[in-house]
Amino acid sequence: MSVRSTTLPKPFHQAVVRWQETFLPDYDLLQENWEKFFPTERKFELCAYRQTGMCTEIECGEMKGKPKFNRASDMQPEQAHHLFGAIRAQASTEFGSIQQHRLTLARAQEEEEQFWILRMMAEELRHGYQMLHLLVEDDWSSVSKESSADLVEGILSMNTGSHLLGAFNVDFDSFIDNVVFCGLIDRVGKYQLAMQKVSAYQPMAESMPEMLREEAFHLAAGVVPMRRWVTAAAKGGTFVTMVDLQKAINKWIPRALEMFGDERGGGTNVRYGLKPMKNAEAQKQYYEEVAKLVRDLNLRYLRARAEKLSHGESEAALDRILQGEVVEGVRREDLLHMPHPEFFRRRGVPAFRMVGAEGEVFTDLAAFRQHLVRSLPDSYRASRDFREYQEALTQVVEGTLQAEEAAGKMPSLRRVGGACPCSKSVRWVVDEPAVSAA
Amino acid sequence: MTATTTEVIIRPLDELDISAIVRIDEQIGGSYRPDVWERRIGYYLRRDPETSVVAELDGRVVGFMLGEVRSGEFGLEEPTGWVEVLGVDPDCRGRAVGRRMGEAILQHFKERGARSVRTLVDEEQTELSGFFSSLGFEPSSVRAFVRPV
Ligand SMILES: CC(C)(COP(=O)(O)OP(=O)(O)OC[C@H]1O[C@@H](n2cnc3c(N)ncnc32)[C@H](O)[C@@H]1OP(=O)(O)O)[C@@H](O)C(=O)NCCC(=O)NCCS
Ligand SMILES: [Fe+2]
Ligand SMILES: [Fe+2]
Repeated sequence: MSVRSTTLPKPFHQAVVRWQETFLPDYDLLQENWEKFFPTERKFELCAYRQTGMCTEIECGEMKGKPKFNRASDMQPEQAHHLFGAIRAQASTEFGSIQQHRLTLARAQEEEEQFWILRMMAEELRHGYQMLHLLVEDDWSSVSKESSADLVEGILSMNTGSHLLGAFNVDFDSFIDNVVFCGLIDRVGKYQLAMQKVSAYQPMAESMPEMLREEAFHLAAGVVPMRRWVTAAAKGGTFVTMVDLQKAINKWIPRALEMFGDERGGGTNVRYGLKPMKNAEAQKQYYEEVAKLVRDLNLRYLRARAEKLSHGESEAALDRILQGEVVEGVRREDLLHMPHPEFFRRRGVPAFRMVGAEGEVFTDLAAFRQHLVRSLPDSYRASRDFREYQEALTQVVEGTLQAEEAAGKMPSLRRVGGACPCSKSVRWVVDEPAVSAA
Repeated sequence: MTATTTEVIIRPLDELDISAIVRIDEQIGGSYRPDVWERRIGYYLRRDPETSVVAELDGRVVGFMLGEVRSGEFGLEEPTGWVEVLGVDPDCRGRAVGRRMGEAILQHFKERGARSVRTLVDEEQTELSGFFSSLGFEPSSVRAFVRPV
């Protein structure tokens, strides 16, 4: 097993560095404190990694067994088109998440957890860089008329609100979001990367192993603080309550499920050998995995509340509590629960259905609104994203808008004054490398 | 090997294994130490998430073996794989769970360029020394020294 590292041609590398200076200004702080938080661990470097020695035959779909493609121009047009869309979407998520994390990073209560998130952000920057590497190293003229510079520019110019996937257009409201996002949304990332590891496009497949290694830590950077919080909550700590965590889970799970794409789709990717699973199948596995996380958190909470319980006893007690019994003073409503997969959806099969967090079906719009108000974080309810959902939902319920159309309208561009790719003065990619301010 | 051994699945460690490892450690050592394992597993996941492994039997995690490749320590310049901590659920011992994890981690060490694999075992822990001997480990000339401070 070996990994090769490369950097982008200078103008593109510099563009990413400039982007980092704007959206990840704490990067230097991370580098300065690396030894303190990650002693003896390999230092972070902004570069693209490609794994060598991977499977060279297409692993699924109609072309299974044929050699993998090294150039997009050798692929079928439709196949290359799909792949191109996936690379852009992946790039958008990587850069987008940094823009979200930066809003609330400084609010962490624990320095260690803050540096975990900061390291994760730097690695997301590298993931974005890796996707730009795929766009810049190959010739995409068969699927896009844009030059490499314009492709890179287009991606770096996206902002919260104009990203390609909904989860990346939702603002963070507190450090709870930084952590829960890692545990839930990066987990979707893990699924996507694992699926793309078999990609018929070899440069994509070779990009995945190192990204997956980094992703394993991102998930831990979410799950470990969540485990600590439920422990503190069980012991009477009031910083992050179980209710706060539940509301954050309710905020993010619907967006996570939508990242897998429409429940009816994904067949084309499988046929073209780009991914081994259809959307619904991957989404179902993901949902079950998060349910396991939620159960682990509940067990951790329960044992912190009733320390005398053994592991086996707490497993049994948890099942009884979930059935409605009160055990050791713990009630069902004290615990965390998976929101129903149809809850608060705006894309896919259940888009704009009025389904509550527990799967209850609402027929009255006002009652459903009240349910959402109770189920989602206070600060999120004051957001633009929530208002747009409410407006679309109202139109769907009143019959003035089809659910499918409403789904297509979200997310919509909502930032004013963002970087405009056609104005030279705000371009990230410039022909002459900028003189560094040293 | 008997039919039961075929059900053992070895896979890389992940963050959702924390609970199972806390349970196995508690079964072995008698104390419940979730905070210790949260930190430690976070460390291995950052270092090299593919090398450390867990064993599943019928969908349940019943063993773990954590380690990494290091070089330049204790005068050992060449890359060396270190098996640092392991455990098998006492109810599932003697079914080659430990052996299968050992084989997997040794393979990963090799792929990462290690030329040898080391571990430290207390002489009084006969099951551990028996286990490592059976995996082909031999006593080494590098001796462990200790003193109280
Ligand atoms: C040592 C241990 C990992 C063995 O796990 P296991 O799954 O039962 O082992 P396996 O079935 O794979 O056995 C492999 C070999 O190890 C050896 N072995 C296993 N248990 C042994 C014991 N109690 N005494 C001597 N040798 C033993 C055997 O030679 C066996 O070879 P065989 O198959 O030819 O009989 C397990 O007993 C354990 O977890 N012990 C506690 C570890 C511990 O204290 N961890 C915390 C500190 S790091
Ligand atoms: Fe990423
Ligand atoms: Fe990530």
